[in-house]
Amino acid sequence: MYNTRVRGVLIKGNKSYSDITHEILKPMNDKAPLWWWVAAFVATGALFWGVWGFYNTISVGIGTWGLNNNVAWGWAIINFVWWIGIGHAGTAFSIFLLIVRQKWRTSINRAAEAMTIFAVMAAGLFPLIHMGRIWDGIFIFPYWNTRGPLWDNFNSPLFWDVVAISTYLMASAVFWYVGMIPDFATIRERTTSKMKKKIYGALSFGWIGNARGWLRFETAAILLGGMAAPLVVSVHSIVSMDFSVSVVPGWHTTIFPPYFVVGAIFSGFGMVLTLMIILRKVYKFKDIVTDGHLDAITRILVFVSLIMGTAYLTELFMAWYSGNEYELFTFMKNRVTGEYKFAYWTMITCNAIIPQLFWIKKIRKNITMVFIISIFVNIGMWFERYVIVVTSLSKDFLPATWATYTPTITEISIFIGTIGLFLLGVLMFFRFVPTIAISEVKGVLKETTTHKSFTDED
Amino acid sequence: MRTNIIGIYEDDEVLLKAVDKLQENGVKVADVMSPFPIHGIFERLNLTTRMPLATFLYGAFGTISVFAFLYWTSVVSYPLKFGGKPLNTLSFIIIMFVLTIFVGTFFTFMTYFIREKMYPGKEVELPVPETTNDKFVIVVNKTEEMTNADINNINKLMKESGAIEIIESDVNYNS
Repeated sequence: MYNTRVRGVLIKGNKSYSDITHEILKPMNDKAPLWWWVAAFVATGALFWGVWGFYNTISVGIGTWGLNNNVAWGWAIINFVWWIGIGHAGTAFSIFLLIVRQKWRTSINRAAEAMTIFAVMAAGLFPLIHMGRIWDGIFIFPYWNTRGPLWDNFNSPLFWDVVAISTYLMASAVFWYVGMIPDFATIRERTTSKMKKKIYGALSFGWIGNARGWLRFETAAILLGGMAAPLVVSVHSIVSMDFSVSVVPGWHTTIFPPYFVVGAIFSGFGMVLTLMIILRKVYKFKDIVTDGHLDAITRILVFVSLIMGTAYLTELFMAWYSGNEYELFTFMKNRVTGEYKFAYWTMITCNAIIPQLFWIKKIRKNITMVFIISIFVNIGMWFERYVIVVTSLSKDFLPATWATYTPTITEISIFIGTIGLFLLGVLMFFRFVPTIAISEVKGVLKETTTHKSFTDED
Repeated sequence: MRTNIIGIYEDDEVLLKAVDKLQENGVKVADVMSPFPIHGIFERLNLTTRMPLATFLYGAFGTISVFAFLYWTSVVSYPLKFGGKPLNTLSFIIIMFVLTIFVGTFFTFMTYFIREKMYPGKEVELPVPETTNDKFVIVVNKTEEMTNADINNINKLMKESGAIEIIESDVNYNS
C-alpha cells in the first residue's frame, strides 16, 4: 500500500537499520554541546526582551507602537504574515511531497514540521497583542453572549483567518506528533535511563508497531495529507484576503491569493534550507540529509523564485494596464521609486534575482553559498510584506492624510522576541526529539541506499 | 495465558517470504512487528481499515453542521446585514471548507487513537524490543489444539525461511 520506487541514493554511507537509529538518536544521548547553550541563552534573552515589549503593549496600549490613523497596520501584521509564510514550509514539505510520493521528504519532514509549529505559534501572537485588550480575545470566536446573541461577521477575512490559522496549527501539530510516536517508542525501548523511559514511554502512547498499527498509521497519515494539502493553499489565500478585499491601492488585486501562497512556500522552503544546513552540520547528518536533498530544495526555490518575479512584474503591468491612477501611483511613485524604493528593490533583489543563481550547478553544490542565499530569501520575504503593508497605507487616496511610519522600540522588541521564541523552540526540538523521522527513513533506506548487503542481492 | 511462537528476522524481504512460506503450509500468522511499515504485509495478513470511510463521514458531518450553524446565526438568530451582502452568503463556503478539514482531521485522529487503544502513558511490553530498531518479527499463536509435531513444524519453517532466532513468549503485547 502507498508504495513507490525512488531514483538515486537518498541515504549514503552503507548504513544498516540500527546505524540509522543510533545516528539520529545520538545527539539526544550526548550532553548538550556548548553552542546549544550559547544559542539557547541568546534565544532566551531575545524572548525576554519580547516579553517586555508584550508587557509594554498590554499595560500601556497600542499607542506604544508607531502606528497612526493611516498606517494602522505596521510591523505586527508584517511579522504575522512573515511567520505564517515560514510556517507553510512544514506542511507544504511534508504533505505536498507525501501526496506526490516524493521519498526524499523523509529526511527533512520532521524538522520542517517542527519549524511550522513554532513559526505559527510566533505568528499567532501578533493578532493577539494587536487587539490591545487581549483579555477580550474571546470576542473573536462565535460564542453565546448576552448581546443578542450577536455573532461574528462571517463575511470578514479576519474571522476566516482565525478559523484557518487555528485549524492549521491543530492539524500540523497533530500530524507532527503522530509521526513521532514510533520514534518515541524506539527511544523507550532503547534508553537505559529510568526517567527517559518513563517520559518517552508516556509520549509513545503505548506504540507496539504491529502490522495493523502500521496500516492504520499510514492510512491516517495519507488521509491527513489529503485533507491538509488544500489547507496549505487556503490558509495563505485567506491571509491575502485580509488585504485584497479592502479597496486600498496596491492591495485590491486578484493576484493576491496565488501570489501569497507561492510567497509563503518560497519563504518556508528558504527557512527549511537555512535550518537543514545548520542541522546537518552540527549533528553530522550529511549521510541522511545529503547534498542531493539540498539540491532538490534549491531547484524548487529557483522555480518558485521565477513565479515570484512574474508576480511582481504582473503587479506592475496591471497597475499600468488598469488605467487606475491610484494603482499606478502606488506602484510607480511609492514602490519602484520614492520613499520606499530601498525596501522595494531589496525585495526584488532577494526574491526574484539572487535565487536565480541556483541555475548554476556550482552554486547549488556550494553549501555556504546555498546557506547565504537562503538567508537572503528570508530577508527578502520580510521586505515583501513590508512593501505591501506600509507603502499602500502610507499614501492612499487623500494626500492630506498621508503619513509615514517608523517602528518603535516596542515593536522591534516584540519581533525579536518572536525570533527568540522560534529559535528556542527549534533548539528544544534539536535536543529532545528525534530530528529526523527514524521509521520513515528506514522505510526508504533499502531502495535508496548503497548498502552492500542490499545491493549485492540485485 | 496465551503463548506465542515468535520468529525473529533481520530483513523485511526475508520476512515477507517467510510469511508466504508459513501461510502456504497452513500456519496462521497472527501478527508481524517491524520498525517501519513493510509494504506487502497488509495484503498477506488480509488487513483492511475503514478509516477512509470514517474520515469521509466526519468531513460530511463537519460541512453540514458548520453550514447549519452559520445559517442559524446569520439568518435565524440575529439577521444583520454586512456591506449589503445577502444574509445567507457565499463566503460561508470558506469557513465550511476550513472547518470541514478541522473536523475531519480531529476526529480521524481520535478514531485512530481509540481503535489502536493508544493513550498517553500507556505501558506496553514488547516480546522483542528490538522490533523498534532493526528486527522484524512473525508472531504465531500457540493454540491448545497444536500438537508437538505442529510446533516443531512451525519452528522448522521459520528456521528454513531465514529466522535468526525463534522464541516462545507469553508477553501479552496487544491488549
